[in-house]
Amino acid sequence: MSESEQKQQRSVAEWVTFGIASSIVAGIVGLVLYSWAKVGNEPPVLAIEQSGKIRQAAGSFYVPFTLTNKGGETADAVQVTAELQIGGKVEEMGEQQFDFLAGGEAEEGTFLFSRNPQNGKLILRVTGYRKP
Amino acid sequence: MMKSHNRHQRTNSARKAFKKEIRDSIRGAASGFLFGIPLLYTMEVWWIGSYAEPLQMLIALLTNFVVVFLLIRTEGFRGTVDTKMRDALMDSIETLAIGFVCTALILVLLREISLTTSINEAVGKIIFESVPFSLGVAVANSFLSGDRNQNGNEQTSSSSQSKNTEINATLADMGATSIGALFIAFTIAPTEEVPMLAAAMTPPWLLATIAASLLISYGIVFVAGLTNQDKRHQQTGLFHQPITETLIAYIVSLMAGLLMLWFFHQLSFEDPWTVWLSHAIVLGLPATIGGAAGRIVV
Repeated sequence: MSESEQKQQRSVAEWVTFGIASSIVAGIVGLVLYSWAKVGNEPPVLAIEQSGKIRQAAGSFYVPFTLTNKGGETADAVQVTAELQIGGKVEEMGEQQFDFLAGGEAEEGTFLFSRNPQNGKLILRVTGYRKP
Repeated sequence: MMKSHNRHQRTNSARKAFKKEIRDSIRGAASGFLFGIPLLYTMEVWWIGSYAEPLQMLIALLTNFVVVFLLIRTEGFRGTVDTKMRDALMDSIETLAIGFVCTALILVLLREISLTTSINEAVGKIIFESVPFSLGVAVANSFLSGDRNQNGNEQTSSSSQSKNTEINATLADMGATSIGALFIAFTIAPTEEVPMLAAAMTPPWLLATIAASLLISYGIVFVAGLTNQDKRHQQTGLFHQPITETLIAYIVSLMAGLLMLWFFHQLSFEDPWTVWLSHAIVLGLPATIGGAAGRIVV
């Protein structure tokens, strides 16, 4: 049985499935290449901002925030802090850590204060991250 | 082509012996992947490797060797069982070597071993990860002896029904693939390893993972199987049918992996598509291996 003989026996259906299968896998490879071209090896760009309204419950003030990675690479152990300054003095502080924040990904969290943040100045800040 | 060539030139025994040797090794590696991949995706084993003292590594190595040797006496990764002590010893060493090479490759692929890893840590990781792997290699004979082409004769005998049985066989294969893939993905998807590994993956590494998944899947199903390989290659053509099957199995495995990741809340619809992509490809490697095992066993 020669090679060419066997190749001729391939039915149209088999070629169609092969075509579909290979194009899907090629599509996945294409997506990887596209993400490579788009974000490349761009380092993480981290931003934190207050999201939504401050809510008060059981004597605490809840400040929701959103942490986004606008860069390409993933950041691990992203450290965020919140400082509440009242009258130019740091009265309260909060700290949180987020694991594996991929490029384009957003995480949500909340800081709690015992004093009303609206009476002072609230500073939300990303202090650092680790390369995974 | 290799097979028909072999059949016609039985006189060329040295070359044939080498080809058989390579196939035996691939079969061993395939079985090793089936056993070893869940632990390769376990960070606790990486840590043991990182912290182990050289003496502990030696003890692990020795214990592994003894167990592998005992298994080789009864199972082995070749078509034949080793009866002589010397053969069993040689095969045990070969088993360990296959385990080391394959686990090292996967650990490099998963970026657990890189150029910055200290030699002590790298060796520790390889030694501890290669334990389940080499056990898998040592039992390859009984593990991969499944005959997945029992309906093969029917296909050739009746040409009018061949299309129908072909489709049925394809569906059965895909069913087996998804069961195997789900089975493995189910155990790995809820763990923290997938996001952890995906985080460290850059596009070139993702491409390498896709390539490795396809190669290992192809190796397990079309090179490693013990029975009816020649027959199978004759029926289904030399080349493109196995490749089609491997590609489809990979897609099915990716889907199974994604389903499990979504099911265990590792992925949500708010996540960017790049996260879905990298998670799917990272979990796709063990899922594809599970899928290949499913096609062999079922």
